[in-house]
Amino acid sequence: MFGYIAINKAEMKFKDYDVYHSYYCGLCKRLKESYGIRGQITLSYDMTFLIVLLTGLYEPDTREVTVNCIAHPLEKHLARTNEYTDYAAAVNLILSYFKCKDDWEDERRRRRYIEARLLYPHMRTIQQQYPHKIAAVSDNLRRLSELERQNEQNIDLMAGIFGNIMSEIFACRRDEWEPSLRKIGFFLGKFIYLMDAYEDVEKDIAAGTYNPFKEAYQKDSLFAENSRHLLTLMMAECSREFEKLPILLHVDILRNILYSGVWCRYTEVTSRR
Amino acid sequence: MINPYSVLGVSQSASDEEIKKAYRSLSRKYHPDANINNPNKDQAEARFKEVQQAYQQIMQEREYQTSGSAQDGYDSSGDFGGFGGFGSFRGFSGQYRQADAGPTESEDDLHMKAASNFINSRHYREALNLLNGIRDRNARWFYYSALANSGIGNNVIALQHAQEALRLEPNNFQYQLLVNRFQSGGSWYQRQQDPYETTYTVGSSWCTKLCIANILCNLCCGSGMCCGGVPGGYI
Repeated sequence: MFGYIAINKAEMKFKDYDVYHSYYCGLCKRLKESYGIRGQITLSYDMTFLIVLLTGLYEPDTREVTVNCIAHPLEKHLARTNEYTDYAAAVNLILSYFKCKDDWEDERRRRRYIEARLLYPHMRTIQQQYPHKIAAVSDNLRRLSELERQNEQNIDLMAGIFGNIMSEIFACRRDEWEPSLRKIGFFLGKFIYLMDAYEDVEKDIAAGTYNPFKEAYQKDSLFAENSRHLLTLMMAECSREFEKLPILLHVDILRNILYSGVWCRYTEVTSRR
Repeated sequence: MINPYSVLGVSQSASDEEIKKAYRSLSRKYHPDANINNPNKDQAEARFKEVQQAYQQIMQEREYQTSGSAQDGYDSSGDFGGFGGFGSFRGFSGQYRQADAGPTESEDDLHMKAASNFINSRHYREALNLLNGIRDRNARWFYYSALANSGIGNNVIALQHAQEALRLEPNNFQYQLLVNRFQSGGSWYQRQQDPYETTYTVGSSWCTKLCIANILCNLCCGSGMCCGGVPGGYI
């Protein structure tokens, strides 16, 4: 689920990378301040994209501070935070919590159960701020699990459910941009779901767990190419909607991710096979 | 409304970036939060909304032109509010409506007509419910199914069904247009990827590039101490 909304660092200018990284550091800082170390370990680059997207769209006041880095103790990093960092931190926690719960329920991995329990107190705080978001994530994931148990093969349906989750997350407020943000989130969510299935297909075949690409992987000689076509359809819808937003600030970073960065794992996985 | 371009104060040939800049500066000026102390704040708010609508209309029109897509793709809110009749397929559906009228209509025909009406009014789920109840699945069924599926975001099925409609009636220009429209997104996206040379290159990691750059520098400068500095000199 995590790790697909990444940058292509090789194609990014130094200064853009510094800006992107500063939002990542800002997210880390906010996670620690709001949710402690347990919150901090849920940090991912995926939500950094959301922060940069919303920052580009709304151009809010953004604070810049220098922070010590827990992962790089000898380094000081610039951290940028704004109201969307707060939002992304809450969302990050919600997604991590349900991912842990999900893994526990599916695979009975003990560690996941413990992680979910650790995050639970913070979830109760977030429940008061974003009850609607939590309900949407929870309900959709539950539906996804149900359909996986039934071995549902309709990929539009399955990917669409995850798309609904991201759509809900991207629509951070009710305003004139909500429909566009929902559409961007929806197709990005579908991309992530399909990318996840594409990457895990061998593992799922071996473990006997659900994956909508199992048959295609085994029977389709053009599996990689056809999957790429599917994934492109999703990113095309997502990006086209993105280009309609009046975003000027940080637009190069966002384009790097949408047109190039999201394919990094695909390239890695495909070349490995 | 009047010409949206004049609302934003740009020419029709302005680039997307120029339009976005114009939007940003105008919306900043007329934003409700920026006009709290303005005695004419109602007027400012009205202008703000006007600027908003003009911007969205222009972007919608441009999407239609470049990718051939009408605004009846995935509709996340269900209540876009009229952007004017850009949907070319609406004209075609009108033709079907006239062609189908007659006393010998079967139940399926009635359902197909109703489905088409639902699609026109963007009630895609209702359209799909009707379509799923129809047993006789001809080319037009697949065409409507493609449109309805596209409306709820099932773009994979939408493309498959559009292709099936075309396969059943290869000479149907309308079906060809729909297939083209669904595929045009992918072509547009791949063109957008052109500036990023290393997207699909294997082994193009940052470390590799840095190493290669370093080696090249060593070969060129001979000093190996710097890149972009005076050859043979020290930093």
